[in-house]
Amino acid sequence: MQSNLSLTISDLWIERGDRDLCKGFSLTASSGDIIHIIGDNGAGKSSLFKTLFGLVSPVEGAVKLNGEDVLSYREPLLKQSLYISHALGLKSVFTVLENIRWYFPNVSETDIARVLSLLKIEDYLDVPIKALSAGQTRRVALARLWLSDLSIWFLDEPFSALDITSIQLLEGRIREHAEQGGIVFFTSHQPVTLLSPRRVELTA
Amino acid sequence: MTYFSYFKAECLVLFRRKQNLVNALLFFTLVIVLFPLGVDPSKAFLAPAAGGIIWCAAALSTVISLESMFKEDYADGSLEQLLVSGLSISWLVLLKVLVHWLGMIIPLLLLTPIFSEMLFLPDGVLGVLMTTLLLGTPGLFLIGSIGASLTVSLRQGALLMLLLILPFYFPIIIFSTSAIQAVASGLPYSGLLAIISAISLLALVMSPLMTPICLRASVR
Repeated sequence: MQSNLSLTISDLWIERGDRDLCKGFSLTASSGDIIHIIGDNGAGKSSLFKTLFGLVSPVEGAVKLNGEDVLSYREPLLKQSLYISHALGLKSVFTVLENIRWYFPNVSETDIARVLSLLKIEDYLDVPIKALSAGQTRRVALARLWLSDLSIWFLDEPFSALDITSIQLLEGRIREHAEQGGIVFFTSHQPVTLLSPRRVELTA
Repeated sequence: MTYFSYFKAECLVLFRRKQNLVNALLFFTLVIVLFPLGVDPSKAFLAPAAGGIIWCAAALSTVISLESMFKEDYADGSLEQLLVSGLSISWLVLLKVLVHWLGMIIPLLLLTPIFSEMLFLPDGVLGVLMTTLLLGTPGLFLIGSIGASLTVSLRQGALLMLLLILPFYFPIIIFSTSAIQAVASGLPYSGLLAIISAISLLALVMSPLMTPICLRASVR
């Protein structure tokens, strides 16, 4: 995992249809930062993440990773980023293990078993995703945070549908990742207790 | 995620969601079975038309199998994950098309000799019919992937997709049936096979370029 990272967003202007989501949004994050993006529903929190990944084109602005422009060449950002969106990216016809193997074909069985046990989903290894509850499904998606070695995390509402224990576990993992030199961006309407993130508000 | 793990996962998805493939093959069978019943079951009518009937049924069943190509990926968010994975979307599209093509072409080639007998396909034509299917169906799938990616975010996109891609299917169908008619009449047909191959190769170049653009536009 790379630890000397700096991500700079300058004067970003995002538009969806005829609506300005954020205009003149600027932010600098470096290794060790935990950034909580807040804003009303529809303020553009998810669109901000999508813009960084090239799924939405900004009207203007610049995004730089370690001084290199990301909007024209996204490869360096994509190679170092983990993005968990609202739609969790799990295949409903796959079992828990198959979904994890899809993302991490080379991770050992022992590591997978350790993480699933930590998240208390070890008994559902061969259960199809469509048979799990919303909270259990989210925990399967979040297992990626323990198995991945990517440096920059973008987590869209990661705490929703989780119970108190899972929220505390996730907060611990986010803090641990930041301490190891990673950067975490997350959106959440819920208050976070164990973390002391930098709060950045998105307004149109 | 690696290209190989993606390929393996796509094969598994196709197997788990085999109902889509079964529906397409069922449609292919129904068209071929119903056509003689509805028009004329005589050998004099069916023999010259057999190649065309099989090709039209194959093209329409391809559209049915392709309609859901990216739909589930779009709905469960895995399409978004693929777009941000850092892997080449063009290669991922080609792998997906390859899996869908293999899943369809193998049973299609197994069924074709049976239906050829049923439709009184002239002797010596079956080999060319199978060759045109082998050379032309990759083009159908590659062109179809562009249509499927354009309509992925639409709830009722099947008809729109059909309207969008069917005009591009016409050359493949026309040259394939022409090759079948040429061999039945004892005329040279290798030039027609070359044209079918050229169309499929053109689709092989265009699809990996256009499908990712359409997918990105749909995920917005």
